Amino acid sequence: MAVITTVQALNDALGLMMAEDQRVYCLGEDIGKMGGDFGVTRGLYDEFGGERVRDTPLSEAAIIGAAVGSAMVGMRPVAEIMFADFIGTCYDQVVNNAAKVHYMFDGQFRAPIVIRTACGGGFGGGPHHSQQIEGWFMNVPGLVIVAPSNPHDAKGLLIASIEDDNPILFLEHKALYRQKGEVPEGKYTVPLRKAKVVRPGKDITVVTSMKTLYDAMAAANELEAEGVSVEVIDLRTLRPWDHQTVLESVARTGRAIVVNEAPKIGGLAADVSAVISEEAFSYLKAPVMRVCGLDTPIPFSLPLEKLILPDKDRVKQGILKVCGK
Amino acid sequence: MPEVSPDQYLALFRDMWRVRKFEQALEREFKRGKVPGMLHVGLGQEATLAAIAHSLRKEDGIFPDHRCHGLLFLKGTPGKKIMAELFGRATGICSGKGGSLHSADASVNNFGDNGVQGSYMVTALGVALGWKMQGKNNVSAVVVGDGTSGRGEWHESMNLASVWKAPVFFICVNNGYAISTPVGFSHATEDLVDFAKSYKIPAVQVDGNDVLASFQATQEAVAHIRAGKGPYFVEYKTWRWQGMFSGEFRPAEEVKYYKEDHEPIALAKADLLKKGIASPEQLDAIEKEAEAEIEEWVSYAQNSPLPDPAKATANVYIGWEVESWQS
Ligand SMILES: Cc1ncc(C[n+]2csc(CCOP(=O)(O)OP(=O)(O)O)c2C)c(N)n1
Ligand SMILES: [Mg+2]
Repeated sequence: MAVITTVQALNDALGLMMAEDQRVYCLGEDIGKMGGDFGVTRGLYDEFGGERVRDTPLSEAAIIGAAVGSAMVGMRPVAEIMFADFIGTCYDQVVNNAAKVHYMFDGQFRAPIVIRTACGGGFGGGPHHSQQIEGWFMNVPGLVIVAPSNPHDAKGLLIASIEDDNPILFLEHKALYRQKGEVPEGKYTVPLRKAKVVRPGKDITVVTSMKTLYDAMAAANELEAEGVSVEVIDLRTLRPWDHQTVLESVARTGRAIVVNEAPKIGGLAADVSAVISEEAFSYLKAPVMRVCGLDTPIPFSLPLEKLILPDKDRVKQGILKVCGK
Repeated sequence: MPEVSPDQYLALFRDMWRVRKFEQALEREFKRGKVPGMLHVGLGQEATLAAIAHSLRKEDGIFPDHRCHGLLFLKGTPGKKIMAELFGRATGICSGKGGSLHSADASVNNFGDNGVQGSYMVTALGVALGWKMQGKNNVSAVVVGDGTSGRGEWHESMNLASVWKAPVFFICVNNGYAISTPVGFSHATEDLVDFAKSYKIPAVQVDGNDVLASFQATQEAVAHIRAGKGPYFVEYKTWRWQGMFSGEFRPAEEVKYYKEDHEPIALAKADLLKKGIASPEQLDAIEKEAEAEIEEWVSYAQNSPLPDPAKATANVYIGWEVESWQS
């Protein structure tokens, strides 16, 4: 097994799928010769040509619209929106077409598209290059949101997403792009809508995704020494997320916190904690807590940004509080 | 200009009447409360609609706007299934889940309208791109009103259709107004064709109430696109009878001009008679037949069952079901 970065793992997935399936093609800004802002499509232009690795202008609505339309006639587009923050410019296309064509025409059409986009903060990207955007889409029936936390899952989830028939918003956390990990060669998939218990524990369940997984893992490792046994879950699919894995865990531990970079109000963490309260109330020894970003835009200056995002220490404090320590 | 045979001319005339009768029946039933939701009709725009329908093949794509009920059945979908959809019935083309603003029929490559006006301008680009990549020479036709042409998607799709030489047929139905706003008041030009020209797309303007002129312009557009030469743009200058929701806000002389002096069916009728293509009796019979056919569709729709409740949660996702109400 090779040790490669998330970027290389994603690149691998795209290359494999494009070689295997003529219907798969990529479109987006500067994804051709240049290989994308983060290098995820690097080399694909040389291998597959400009027809299948298609550069566009800054026309995000047309990128998603072209993806949806071509998918409706049988293609398998992988669209890149350079930064997740830009998705507001094509929100309508995602929400009102990609996610609805199957339903509103009662199954006559499908929109099997993958929208890859770079999200997340922590690097001084400022208000328009740092946001965690799944909350903008939590209320959109028909849409699937996938969010890997490591190179292995990135490749397997991207292949599974390209093969899936639903429209998929595929979130790539910028802080994880250069992270390395063992990745099998060749084709494999990681199942969609299936969370993973990354670290088993007895006292509390911490539900995470993407970068917050590492905050939770670090907190869990430190707390082990203090005698708190923390179970950490990586959701991997954020909507519709895997209730069963989370509820089974909470039934064992009796406590839960949900970590998310985005603000609390109306976000993923709100939904996860509501479902735990609704479905597993009788198992709970304490209220479910959310450890989330503050209700602010993302400020530019690094110390300010650090102030508003969750981190290892904030997760740790949360765990201790819910455990009554 | 391609010649139009007498038979073709009569067929266009007949379909103008079918559109007219369809919309009139629909408006009547809407006012009776039988058609739920919102309703916009294509009365006054029959020549444009017939010209388009007669120029597209079954396999060509169509993105019909909110005044295109006529196009839906002229494209080949059984009219009774369109009517049933508008009545929200189980027998409708989308099982009653789409309605007037979302009626699609995959079997004739009708990709459906969008209630968010014009969002599909970029979907049409995608269909064209997909077909081009697959080596097909189908035309992807998209209807856009003058008001809707203010959207950024219009410009994004024209630019990329031009760059990609994608087979998009831009059908600009300029009926002079958005809801109430005159086209010249809200756009940099009253001639929307100017925008297309700036994107290097071949573009023409035609009298959308003149069915022959519209038909000929449309034929040329479709031939150009089908030959693989990229997109084409036709601006049909027409006028809608319906104010929008209620009342009339347009100048009386304008209303008279379009409803009497320059009314598309009357224009075609006078021309057909002048050219001796048909007798007055024959033309009247065409009108009567159209009316009878449409009324059959209305009764079919009215007598159709309401949708199966299971449809409410069907086809949200592919591969799994959504949760329903629990007891
Ligand atoms: C994106 C969007 N904005 C506004 C509306 C509300 N609306 C419906 S029709 C319409 C005017 C459309 O004008 P035009 O494109 O000229 O079409 P017409 O009705 O004149 O045929 C408006 C503003 C809408 N449905 N979608
Ligand atoms: Mg108008």
